[in-house]
Amino acid sequence: MKAAMKKLAVSAVAATALMGAGGAFAEGERYVLVSHAPDSDSWWNTIKNGLALAGEQMNVTVEYRNPPTGDLADMARIIEQAAASAPNGIITTLADPDVLSGPIRAAVDAGIDVIIINSGTPEQARALGALMYVGQPEYDAGFAAGQRAAGDGVSSFLCVNHYISSPSSTERCQGFADGLGVELGNQMIDSGQDPSEIQNRVMAYLNANPDTDAVLTLGPTSADPTILALNQMGLAGDIYFGTFDLGGDIVQAIRDGVIAWGIDQQPFLQAYLPVIVMTNYHRFGVLPGNNINSGPGFVTADALDLVAELAGEYR
Amino acid sequence: MSSSGAAIDERIKQTSGLRKALIRPELGAIVGTIAVFAFFIIFAGDSGMFNAQGVLNWSTVSAQFVIIAVGACMLMIAGEFDLSVGSMIGFAGMSIAIFSVTLGWPVWMAILLTFAICIAIGAVNGVIVVRTGLPSFIVTLAFLFILRGFTIFFPQLIERRTIIGGISERAVGDWLAPVFGGKVGGPIFDWLASQGLIAVFERGTRAGEPIVNGIPMLIVWALGLMIVAHIVLTRTRFGNWVFAAGGDAQAARYVGVPVARVKILMFMFTAFCATVFATCQVMEFGSAGADRGLLKEFEAIIAVVIGGALLTGGYGSVIGAALGALIFGVVQQGLFFAGVESSLFRVFLGVILLFAVILNTYIRRIITGER
Amino acid sequence: MSSYDHAPIVEMRDIEKHFGPVIALNGVSFDIRPGECHCLLGDNGAGKSTFIKTMAGVHKPTRGEILFEGKHMDFSSPRDAMEAGIATVYQDLAMIPLMSVTRNFWMGREPIKRVGPFKFMDFKTANDVTMHEMRKMGINLRSPDQAVGTLSGGERQTVAIARAVYFGAKVLILDEPTSALGVRQTANVLSTIDKVRKTGIGIVFITHNVRHALAVGDRFTVLNRGKTLGTAQRGQITPEELQDLMAGGQEMVALEGSLGGTV
Repeated sequence: MKAAMKKLAVSAVAATALMGAGGAFAEGERYVLVSHAPDSDSWWNTIKNGLALAGEQMNVTVEYRNPPTGDLADMARIIEQAAASAPNGIITTLADPDVLSGPIRAAVDAGIDVIIINSGTPEQARALGALMYVGQPEYDAGFAAGQRAAGDGVSSFLCVNHYISSPSSTERCQGFADGLGVELGNQMIDSGQDPSEIQNRVMAYLNANPDTDAVLTLGPTSADPTILALNQMGLAGDIYFGTFDLGGDIVQAIRDGVIAWGIDQQPFLQAYLPVIVMTNYHRFGVLPGNNINSGPGFVTADALDLVAELAGEYR
Repeated sequence: MSSSGAAIDERIKQTSGLRKALIRPELGAIVGTIAVFAFFIIFAGDSGMFNAQGVLNWSTVSAQFVIIAVGACMLMIAGEFDLSVGSMIGFAGMSIAIFSVTLGWPVWMAILLTFAICIAIGAVNGVIVVRTGLPSFIVTLAFLFILRGFTIFFPQLIERRTIIGGISERAVGDWLAPVFGGKVGGPIFDWLASQGLIAVFERGTRAGEPIVNGIPMLIVWALGLMIVAHIVLTRTRFGNWVFAAGGDAQAARYVGVPVARVKILMFMFTAFCATVFATCQVMEFGSAGADRGLLKEFEAIIAVVIGGALLTGGYGSVIGAALGALIFGVVQQGLFFAGVESSLFRVFLGVILLFAVILNTYIRRIITGER
Repeated sequence: MSSYDHAPIVEMRDIEKHFGPVIALNGVSFDIRPGECHCLLGDNGAGKSTFIKTMAGVHKPTRGEILFEGKHMDFSSPRDAMEAGIATVYQDLAMIPLMSVTRNFWMGREPIKRVGPFKFMDFKTANDVTMHEMRKMGINLRSPDQAVGTLSGGERQTVAIARAVYFGAKVLILDEPTSALGVRQTANVLSTIDKVRKTGIGIVFITHNVRHALAVGDRFTVLNRGKTLGTAQRGQITPEELQDLMAGGQEMVALEGSLGGTV
């Protein structure tokens, strides 16, 4: 028992130290960002950095929360929890409206301002009573990329889907197929999250379907191993390769000519802007009159230097 | 168990009633529960964790853990593991969604059919373990993959997506759906709100209504399962058989305990609990997703071990497992209220698990005289 | 010796048991009467285990006949033998250490109390009976909730014996009950055997320790290489002769000489 109390005291001290690091209560505003990403997803680091920077600049407390395994039902609980702690605003993704709309609406009704970012659509955000939507509509981004690829002469592709259980991933692939004007059919593979599995599955698919024109990956998780796979097969630079989102390896591959373009949804803005918008709204009552599209921006080999320097941090 | 009025040998050292009351399998979990609550009352007492909304939040999360922990606890006492619980949760939810939304059958029929299928899968797990004598660890690991695979495959095949929504609309007016997705005690909360004792919505279509407007059936199920399982385990012949099957299957068989049947029934019960979890979740959120229930099997096992059960079987307590689940839920949600960086959740969990296991080992030695 | 006035409870005639090409038992005859302690002695590998498992219904004899109270019997499972009244206390499989004495005592035969439509285990009766039966065997439990793991090896054997007696055993087979015990605990178990014998139960006491056998045995049968070497009455045989029989005779004489007669 004594040992228990001692251990408790130690953890308590550790906890206090961490809480101190959370941020200063200068103006008293507190904003919570809830994402749907599991702990292992490194892409969200940019969001965390954008959030922290906005908190610093505006002098407000910001917190980042996510379901450790990426289970959306857990995410719903986190939103309820965030609402129970009565912050000034909640910034959240809408990865699955069925699961999340209840808790989000309850938070809105309890008087907490909500901004939807990243996943979801402007329509869904409006229906939930959120202030606005900041993000990149997934289907539209895929569609635009598909049209671009069609202009470059692509007629068949492989979509490497590393998070197939989320509907937005399928929308990206579907949008790309529709933009190309072809059926999605079997051109989307469930690659899993493990790098060597992804690499081997891509190689297996391309070996089995040698007439594939293009590869589309949905983020660094699937893009990085795909780059390796293409290098190994001698297809790098030969096959048309586009990807969603940016990361260190992706930027280098764009520079090397392996990847034609990266669709940058500029996640930094998805975390940064909502904090700025809400703080100004709460302090001065001013609010932009529309949703903000943070993307898509196509990043190609031209003007890559700034992106390269900040990739994985702010880009 | 009341001690009988037998004459007592004066040579045998008398243990005090207090010590006897303390030395129980669930002691570690009781100490842990008190410690965890003390911690959060000190560090998160004014953060909203203990207002109606906050209490409901961690109670709901804990109740989810309790439901699967009760099943895992009974099975672990019977000497087996089930690693397919998490996949079973995903599978059961998807099954309800496909039957009710895609095939358009009544929700009650989808729920009952899903229960039948999942309990049958639990029985298959059990039969394979009992017949082959393979470790349940391996057999249920196989089912972890098989069930998760089907959970992704079927909706993709039929609906070309991995999340199926629209169950809430289908469940309107259904007689069975509220048993899992409903709430009880609404009028009490309305009254509390009218007295100004709990918070109400400030705006929107529900302005003036209490934010917490009832206790979810999830919590009712958790309490019900816990009480029934505790009574069965400690007060019935079958409970004695569960202990015996896990304690020493050969010795139990020798005195006529139907060990195979007991173990298979416990696998079925675990599957039942997983299906209750899934059904409550699906009815609350209105959709089923292929990624639901990931890693839940380990969370269940951790709760059970915190609750004082022995990984090798034959020893444990349902109340302990439920308290373990409560600790788990309170820590998971409470760290947020305390403002601790969320990635440290796992560190806390690891520390608590280690601490609980060491304490429980010590308590068990006292009880059983192991040296 | 009053027991010879009675007919045997179990009689085994010319039992043979083959496992494939291996002949484990090659014509064993044995009987047990009410109220006697019949010791079955033999060295490791003599066939003692196979023999008692045949008697307890685990194995079916390849040849030979088992008579139970004069009638031909064909046990198809240990359960059958138990129903008939043949109880076996195995050396290692007796008890579950993590469970309480009461739960162990009643395991498989729990008393039931009805409350409305529900059936509960009747712990009041179970605890009272357990305490009473254990006291009869000379063991005072601290509490019936006490885990069996807290008991000594001898006490565990005693719980198992008390359990078999309480549930109406007519013949009690004890498989090496003293082999892993210290001197005092052995004495306790032997005195328990004596108590049980006096209630009219026939005891088959398997051991390879001549001293333990002579302490309580009424008759002694020696098994060697799957055969019975004959049965002797108490007082008709010396420890040395028994020892020789067990070891198969001649070579033991030489060995014993070199060890100074201490074996």
